[in-house]
Amino acid sequence: MTRLARFAPGLRAYAVIYLLFLYLPVLLIPLFSFSEGTVVAFPISGFTFKWYGQLATQDTLLQSLVNSAIVGAGTAVLSTSLGLFAARAYIRHDFPGRRASEGLVMLPLVTPVIIVASAMLALFLLIGLRPSLLTVILGHTFLTVPFAVSILKSAFEEFDPSLEEAAYDLGESVWGTFRRVTLPIVAPGIVSSLLVTFTVSFDEFVLAFFLSGDQPTLPVYIWSQIRFPAKLPNTLALGSLLLGFSVLLLIAAEFFRRKSRNAIAKVKG
Amino acid sequence: MTGNTIIELIDVEKHFRSFVALSNFSLDLKEGEFFSLVGPSGCGKTTALRIIAGFQEPTSGVIRIGGQDMRAIPANRRPTNMVFQSYAIFPHLNVADNVGFGLAKSGLSRAERKQRIGEALEMVALDGLQRRNAHELSGGQRQRVALARALVMRPKVLLLDEPLSALDKNMRESMQFELRRLQQSIGITFVMVTHDQYEAMTMSDRIGVMFDGRLEQVDAPSALYAFPANPKVASFIGGMNFLPATLLNERNATLSIEIAGLGSLDIGMNPGVTRHERDLLVGLRPEQLYIGRDAPTDYDVTAQGTVTDIAFYGESVRYHVQINGVPEPVSVSVPNYFHTVDFKRGDAVWIAAQGASVIDLGTRSDNEPTKQERKV
Repeated sequence: MTRLARFAPGLRAYAVIYLLFLYLPVLLIPLFSFSEGTVVAFPISGFTFKWYGQLATQDTLLQSLVNSAIVGAGTAVLSTSLGLFAARAYIRHDFPGRRASEGLVMLPLVTPVIIVASAMLALFLLIGLRPSLLTVILGHTFLTVPFAVSILKSAFEEFDPSLEEAAYDLGESVWGTFRRVTLPIVAPGIVSSLLVTFTVSFDEFVLAFFLSGDQPTLPVYIWSQIRFPAKLPNTLALGSLLLGFSVLLLIAAEFFRRKSRNAIAKVKG
Repeated sequence: MTGNTIIELIDVEKHFRSFVALSNFSLDLKEGEFFSLVGPSGCGKTTALRIIAGFQEPTSGVIRIGGQDMRAIPANRRPTNMVFQSYAIFPHLNVADNVGFGLAKSGLSRAERKQRIGEALEMVALDGLQRRNAHELSGGQRQRVALARALVMRPKVLLLDEPLSALDKNMRESMQFELRRLQQSIGITFVMVTHDQYEAMTMSDRIGVMFDGRLEQVDAPSALYAFPANPKVASFIGGMNFLPATLLNERNATLSIEIAGLGSLDIGMNPGVTRHERDLLVGLRPEQLYIGRDAPTDYDVTAQGTVTDIAFYGESVRYHVQINGVPEPVSVSVPNYFHTVDFKRGDAVWIAAQGASVIDLGTRSDNEPTKQERKV
């Protein structure tokens, strides 16, 4: 027990209550998704899997799932590729405007998404790009590049720059050095970045709502269903699946991130 | 060592914004020599090595390797290979793949590559460890892999950036001999950067001493030791007492001088320095001085003094002796030979020196004598 905890036992209780307050509502969703009744209230009436079963028969839902997967995959690949080059540049090189550029790249984390979403919609319409999955991918890439950059920056921070120099010194080309040394060494970081950016995109609602047009992603579909009380249990089941899926992806991402750090630390001795 | 020039650096300058890393840097390296660049950290020695390797471009100046202008040739097409300070062993590859990394583009068959890798590993006494993973290697083994990986390319010049600094002391000493032996057996030029002057002296045919981006002196270790070009070099290579002296007479290659507090004697003229005033600075190596309870008869100058400090080094003992008329205590080093010398602080002792061991460092006002005296 730390000194602080010993002298202020109330802090521990506070932390527990805080975490319960944060996560209990979220845990209610899977709980009610197994309830037979269509009303979200205690006591829970009976246990059933039927809401889950019904999900598989809803074509619009399945279509939105496919849309989300396409958007997620496109976003993950695009923002991780951009993040890879940006992160390498930030860690390896000192150039005029590096700090400003780093700040700018991180900005989407704190800009109000609704503002960004309406601005993007206006911009896309202006240049003649109709709302579609492509525009959602572009919007989500903007939103997820900060995640990719920070994950990949930590991968490059652990990475001895002499490794790239050694490969180049041994006759490899710049591209060959990237392919044979840089990529394999930051690979766990890349996987981690792909998983995180996919998850962020998969769960994102505001940008998708503005930019998806007539091709709703899963969160947009869920929102459209919440208006119908009869559909609520289905939505809860779907939300539970989404929740579990996201948690799994993030755990996998963290696993790869740690693996990358350990592999490099081992060689450094 | 043969006489043909393999690397030429002519008036190389390297500036990083306003910082001058290399200034007026000219150097000829010979085929088959073991050359070391030494100097304190930040003196530009690593920059010089990286310019030879092609990792950095000089701001101005010419660099030729084997007579060919290297300015338009990037690092991956230069006939040089580098052993990095961190060794830079590829963590995702095993020993054989690390060593064979540069052979991928050689056009050699798999069997030929395998043989070259085996030969290179044999050279560094690691044959049989081909399948070992990078993280299973000790520090010394990593260094050998780094060496083999560079040597397998059969470079004209091998560049070594502080190759021994990451090893512990015993390993470092055995690797000094081994590197030297390896260089002699394959006969290519080695260029090593180190901050350790003793490492440079034990391994090199020639040494370049650098301070503040300038090459102060290039010479064989024994010549650097005997005829340092200035007090900075004198104090960086080995220990040195700096003493003020007055020029009495100068004829041929001999100077008659008077060292304050010690007396007058004849010393050899150092061709590398200038004398345009009577006030000179001379250097005396701590191990070249006599120390004893009795006044010796066969020395050029003798003086009495008092022991003020004692430092025990194991193989030698260092005494600081205060002599009347000498501004600072004189440092004397005595081999620890059957404990024949054993003085206490405050003991009265005799100090003596021969003219042959006094080093002429030129006019005193030309030199800002570095106060720091190096440990042996």
